[in-house]
Amino acid sequence: MNPLKSKKTLLLLAGPGFIFLLIFFFLPLLYVLIESFQSDVGQFTLRRYYDVISDAQFKLVFIRTLRMALIVTPIAVIVGYPCAYFISKLSAKKKSILTTIIILPLMTSPVARTYAWIVILGKFGIVNATLTALNIFAEPTRLLYTEGAIIVGLLQLFMPILILTVSSSLENVNSEVEEAALSLGSNRIGVFFRVVVPLSFEGLIMGITLVFTGCFTAYVTPAILGGANVLTLSTLMREQALVLMNWEAATVIAVLMIITTLIIYNGIRAFKPRNM
Amino acid sequence: MKKSKFLIFIVALAVIFLIGPFIIIIVSSFNETAVMKFPPKGFSLQWYQKVFSVDMFKTTFWISLKIGFFATIIALVIGIPVAYLNVRYKYRGKNIVELIFSSPAIIPGLVIGFALLRYFIYVAQVPITVGLFLGHTAILFPYTVRVVSASLRNFDLSVEEAAVSLGSSPIGAFFRVVFPNIQAGVVAAFILAFITSFNNVPISLFLTGPGVSTLPIQMLVYMEYYYDPTISALSSIIIVLTVLIVQAAEKVLGISKYM
Repeated sequence: MNPLKSKKTLLLLAGPGFIFLLIFFFLPLLYVLIESFQSDVGQFTLRRYYDVISDAQFKLVFIRTLRMALIVTPIAVIVGYPCAYFISKLSAKKKSILTTIIILPLMTSPVARTYAWIVILGKFGIVNATLTALNIFAEPTRLLYTEGAIIVGLLQLFMPILILTVSSSLENVNSEVEEAALSLGSNRIGVFFRVVVPLSFEGLIMGITLVFTGCFTAYVTPAILGGANVLTLSTLMREQALVLMNWEAATVIAVLMIITTLIIYNGIRAFKPRNM
Repeated sequence: MKKSKFLIFIVALAVIFLIGPFIIIIVSSFNETAVMKFPPKGFSLQWYQKVFSVDMFKTTFWISLKIGFFATIIALVIGIPVAYLNVRYKYRGKNIVELIFSSPAIIPGLVIGFALLRYFIYVAQVPITVGLFLGHTAILFPYTVRVVSASLRNFDLSVEEAAVSLGSSPIGAFFRVVFPNIQAGVVAAFILAFITSFNNVPISLFLTGPGVSTLPIQMLVYMEYYYDPTISALSSIIIVLTVLIVQAAEKVLGISKYM
């Protein structure tokens, strides 16, 4: 990497992208942000925030969204981390095959992916059919439009993200280090937790950040699997904006979503170990 | 290192969980009845016929295709120079520049779509198709920067320096020496960005109007009114196409290493 000598090069290379984002990305966001602090006559007010935050439904939905992210993230780590470890030990060819299988949920249309769970969890779906056939339930139970359905859908989407991030950080973990620890008398589980995990810690933190913020702001999964019964922040915002035409509330929820995402994003990444 | 049985068990479970639903939806799309039953009853192609008879699916498919294509091209045109800047040079304030250019990937898509609707459609009175194109370009931009950067890192930049020292202009050297070497990365970026745009819901959700929408949004609208396997059939078509594209891209370009 060379030091950049002239400002002209910087402007030439970054200029077009910067101008594009300024006009078509930052300006609209700034507009919405300013709008959320303005009263009808254009004066500064926190009234809109007060109205939204003191609303009982908002509190319920906010806590629910947070709770689901808090449930999905550890499960994604517990199942995804061993998968990432497994992938990192494979030969290049097998690695490529397994990775393309695992990224499938990320690459296919979210509507198609989520719709599959309607077929599975529906009244006459495979889960209900099995449960009634085994006489666990006398008749089909409602599995769709519940928090559980959303959690399952979110896991399918975000586990691959965790696996990808962690497996790429595990590439840097040298097998010889593990074998050295083994030969020095550590057992397999000890090596895993004391050698492998610390060496891939940065990737794990990155993965957790992506999964957590992703769960917090996901739209399609809660929209299809939760419906109007189990609202999350994003489906609530959409309802306020497009169904109830309550722009003020939608704007405030939008700003609160950004703030919370940024807090989570920076909060989790603060765990990054220094010079490990 | 020997792999334990427990590890293989967990991986098998995860793979079944991740791709099982796709197999189930494909099987269910051949259902004879309109009830979404699994295992399905009989065999029928009627839901596939129905997919092609719904005009809005055709219209929105073309809109999605066009938006995806043009947004990806523009995102590449403005993204490649940024990737080059970040891989090639170090300079003061680089962290801030990188943060600015990755922000469309950090801000929730739903908020971006909402802001574009408020500002461009209502205040600036821009047509919805243009709003869709701009919103998609903005979110694809960090994507193209990341994938092209990954590809540039594998290229030995001293080759470019050699070309410049032999009298080539920096721009000439880029197009004649650098670009041919990162072509695979650029194609990978194109495919990944296009798929991202084609699948996008949060941005497109707010940017719809009379006769203008994207295919995923149209599928969501259809689901609100009809409960039959038509969406299963359409989803199956999309899933199979995606699998074919990803497989081909993995074989030719090794796309998974850019993810």
